[in-house]
Amino acid sequence: MPESASIHIFGIRHHGPGSARSLRESLEKLQPDIILVEGPPDAQDMLPLLAHPEMQPPVALLVYRPDAPNRAVYYPFAVFSPEWQAISYGLSRGISVRFMDLPQAHQLDDAGDDEHPDEGAVPGDAPDESPDVKEESALRRDPLQWLAQAAGYSDGERWWEHIVEQRRDSTDIFEAVMEAMTALREAQVEVSRNDGQLSGEALLEARREAYMRQTIRTAGREGFGRIAIVCGAWHAPALAKMPTAKEDAALLKDLPEVKTAATWVPWTNGRLCFASGYGAGVESPGWYGHLWSTREGVVVRWMTKVAALLRDEDLDASPAQVIEAVRLAETLSHLRARSLPDLTEVNEAVQTVLCFGNDAPLRLIRQKLIIGETLGRVPSETPTIPLQHDLTREQKRLRLPAEATQKMLDLDLRKPTDIARSHLLHRLNLLGIPWGVRESVTGKSGTFHELWRTEWQPEFAVHLIEAGVWGNTVIDAAVARANDKIIHASDLPKLTRLLEQVLLADLPQVVETLVRNLQAEAARASDVNQLMQSLPALANVLRYGDVRRTNASALTTIIDEFVARIAVGLTPACSSLNDEAAAVMFDRLLQVDAVVSLLQVGAHLETWHGVLRRLSDQQTLHGLIAGRCCRLLIDANAYEASDTQRRLSLALSTASEPAQAARFVEGLLKGSGQSLLHTEALWMVLDEWVTGLSEENYIATLPLVRRTFATFTLPERRRMGERISHGSGRLAPRQVVLVELDQTRAEAVLPTLARLLGV
Amino acid sequence: MTNNSPSTSANASQLLREHAEQQFAGELAELAKQDERPRPPNWKLSPWAVATYILGGTLDDGFVVTPKYIGNRRTIEIAIATLATDRALLLLGVPGTAKTWLAEHLAAAVAGDSTLLVQGTAGTSEESIRYGWNYARLLAEGPSRNALVPSPMMRAMETGKLARVEELTRIPAEVQDTLITILSEKTLPIPELGDEVQAIRGFNVIATANNRDKGVNELSSALKRRFNTVVLGVPATAEEEVEIVERRVAQLGHALEFPVEAPALAEIRRIVTVFRELRNGVTEDGKTKIKTPSGTMSTAEAISVLNSGLALAAHFGDGRLQAHDIASGLVGAVVKDPVQDRVVWLEYLETVVKERQGWKDVYRACREVS
Repeated sequence: MPESASIHIFGIRHHGPGSARSLRESLEKLQPDIILVEGPPDAQDMLPLLAHPEMQPPVALLVYRPDAPNRAVYYPFAVFSPEWQAISYGLSRGISVRFMDLPQAHQLDDAGDDEHPDEGAVPGDAPDESPDVKEESALRRDPLQWLAQAAGYSDGERWWEHIVEQRRDSTDIFEAVMEAMTALREAQVEVSRNDGQLSGEALLEARREAYMRQTIRTAGREGFGRIAIVCGAWHAPALAKMPTAKEDAALLKDLPEVKTAATWVPWTNGRLCFASGYGAGVESPGWYGHLWSTREGVVVRWMTKVAALLRDEDLDASPAQVIEAVRLAETLSHLRARSLPDLTEVNEAVQTVLCFGNDAPLRLIRQKLIIGETLGRVPSETPTIPLQHDLTREQKRLRLPAEATQKMLDLDLRKPTDIARSHLLHRLNLLGIPWGVRESVTGKSGTFHELWRTEWQPEFAVHLIEAGVWGNTVIDAAVARANDKIIHASDLPKLTRLLEQVLLADLPQVVETLVRNLQAEAARASDVNQLMQSLPALANVLRYGDVRRTNASALTTIIDEFVARIAVGLTPACSSLNDEAAAVMFDRLLQVDAVVSLLQVGAHLETWHGVLRRLSDQQTLHGLIAGRCCRLLIDANAYEASDTQRRLSLALSTASEPAQAARFVEGLLKGSGQSLLHTEALWMVLDEWVTGLSEENYIATLPLVRRTFATFTLPERRRMGERISHGSGRLAPRQVVLVELDQTRAEAVLPTLARLLGV
Repeated sequence: MTNNSPSTSANASQLLREHAEQQFAGELAELAKQDERPRPPNWKLSPWAVATYILGGTLDDGFVVTPKYIGNRRTIEIAIATLATDRALLLLGVPGTAKTWLAEHLAAAVAGDSTLLVQGTAGTSEESIRYGWNYARLLAEGPSRNALVPSPMMRAMETGKLARVEELTRIPAEVQDTLITILSEKTLPIPELGDEVQAIRGFNVIATANNRDKGVNELSSALKRRFNTVVLGVPATAEEEVEIVERRVAQLGHALEFPVEAPALAEIRRIVTVFRELRNGVTEDGKTKIKTPSGTMSTAEAISVLNSGLALAAHFGDGRLQAHDIASGLVGAVVKDPVQDRVVWLEYLETVVKERQGWKDVYRACREVS
């Protein structure tokens, strides 16, 4: 390399706003003629798009293998990422910018399959690693921890933030960082000297640094004079001390190579955050964004943002409180011997002053401000993402072209192609791409058929790009999306609906988690209503499981549990209901009963009928429910006719309140004019009860019974009347035998009954 | 707790319970001696030294300060910083989370006096927050400052100390609002004399309230805004809780002079486990869900269960704490509602305690008394 080239190394912390600011200032001062950035050279062609006016961070560079899109790496960028600032500075001044990390082409080979292929962010930065990796080789992976502990901090992130990120005037900071890192690396070399051979991670790191040095040498050879190098702080010393080019070349010999492709994808603040799957290790992107965009009065401006948010949510937040919160944050930072309050102090002050110690609003603040809800945008010229490729492939395979015209699709689920199509449509729906809308099937047996209305809308392309954050194949993305939904599903009905969707979309990977969550949620649910509401969906899934070829065996256990829990909780849930709640419970009872009678499991039937029996014995039960319990038991042949009659007369005896008695009749017969006509047993029960009444009682109960009968349709009532007048002769002999009634007296009742029924 | 001033109780060893500033006088003096950091006006210690006093630590010369509060350091720092900003401090928490305890020690460390106390009850009147009159004097001499009986609040304002208000939410709402002027204007008008008492620097108020009793007398939002609210939680980890219980039981046992061995750590851990599991509604291994009883299952109750167990062992047992000494106390602490809690407790016994290795004695003892 020519002697004339001067090399300037800037060791930064990925996604640190303080680093970004210092870097930008240093670059302005230095005026380099080339900038080398730690990043994948595979994506070199994508760089110019960064300066595109439509480009809005947060975005991520995606490097993937076109032949196996699930082998991919994301490099997220926010506006406060030093790399982003370096690149945009370079592009705006027409300075060449190059990525200099070891290309992913050498890293995404199959050998690395068992590692963390989707591990986020810029590799090599200590905080990016998953915890287990961290533990494994804590010394090498988390060098900052050492420095932090030496300075009396519990956590390396916070230390860096205080010492480096919060400085606002520093330009010599990079020399200090370099010095500290050099000392650290020397210490680390001593620690790791014992194992001699470089293995796994260490080897990868050595190769990456060797490649970076080679890139620097190339730039020097090409005659660039002032070379600016932007890399993670950890790598800075390794790039300052150049070994011979030969050594590096030896390290980089015979690397495996695969074909890679790269593109930009929109990213979200939430996914920059540590908590979610692919994170970039930034716990508070919103706060960083605020630090980046605010130069003066960081805390005051933040507090006003918080207050505005709280007011939007109809919570009190007066300016006086904002003042007090700022004061408390500052006092706290003094107490902790810090020059400026950081996020911890700010949050504590907000909770103490603005939220009256309550932490619920803090969660809102965290979601809306500290993390933020910004969604990045990429220019329309951006090459397509793997998810799109995958979908196109699937569409071709299933001969299901994306057409902008509306089309009806009738799928026969017994055919392999059709069921695959159905899975694809369901998965896309799960991803928020409603290409197909399900129509209800009429006529043919619904079990084997699915009717879809498909229409490809142009905006689905955008949805697809957005869905790209979930995964690179339709199935991967759907799984990730479903898992995310599980986390956010708050109650049982939502989880059950999700279970249905997941089973329809054939994502067995998710079912296990879902079932676990369902069980936990069911154990927690105190609301029997929710359990009852969820049961039909579960039963449906179980029933059609075979047709859909889904493994639903786990469901049987859940349903057993559900029935047991419902049985335990139903009695208290039915006590002291008002008319409205009773009407809801009435429907739920019907639903559960339908499920239980559909599944025909002996144990269920026994428990369920046991509960109904106990319920109907309760004197204080709402009439509607009591009547229906009675009816369900009659239908299930669990009651003898005499049983029912006894209950009927008990419920309608003069001592009971007329309204209550009327509700009982309603519960018993509601909506069942037809079945009354066709169910011999029910008819008999009623008939015998009416004919058994004494005259006074009959007159007293007449209005109550009429109330329900009046709700039947006219033809129904007419047929009932016909049946009574025609069929009386047929029924009469049995009556005589059974109850020994006075025949003439009984017949005398009939015309009145016919009139009562409005015939 | 009474309102004795420390001077009237010179013979401290005879006292049933000493004030914090009496009990830890040595530590406070040592801290004050070595504390060179800036102190807010009229504070006996710097905020930093107050934090050390509360949370414990070792001073530069090796002097060991015992921890008074075991738990989140940040919470304590917020509380101290609040007092330093001259905003009033409201400690909120479920019963048994050491609110009063912390308030007492804060007052002892900051002002050297924890006795300026207003106990909040449904019968607390305005006089106990503002001032009353000595009616004999009032009749004899007419209205004058001499005829005035100052409240602890007024004395704290005059001397620049911390006043404590216990159970703020139990005080009737109209009486609570007396505090508004005191907290915002830092003055207490005496309209009868055309006079006022202006608080001197160092005055502040620590109030405690129970957030289980919400709605007893909810603070008006005007008053609420004048407090910084710090919520004290239940101990985060089992180890922390075991330490708290062990420490307190040792202190109390010492004061009551039980002729009994100190309880084994294993025994304390078992009780703490029972309390934590029932409080959190899940077993410590996170595998089994359990129902929670209606009581709070606070650490303070765990301490009193152990204490009554110790008393039983000392006076009716063999001097060693056994499972059956704890059982009755444990049942009493869990079963507050005779119907629902009993179900919860029996379910817990049958599904969790019975199966657990080495807990046979507990199970048997509890079955006997349940």
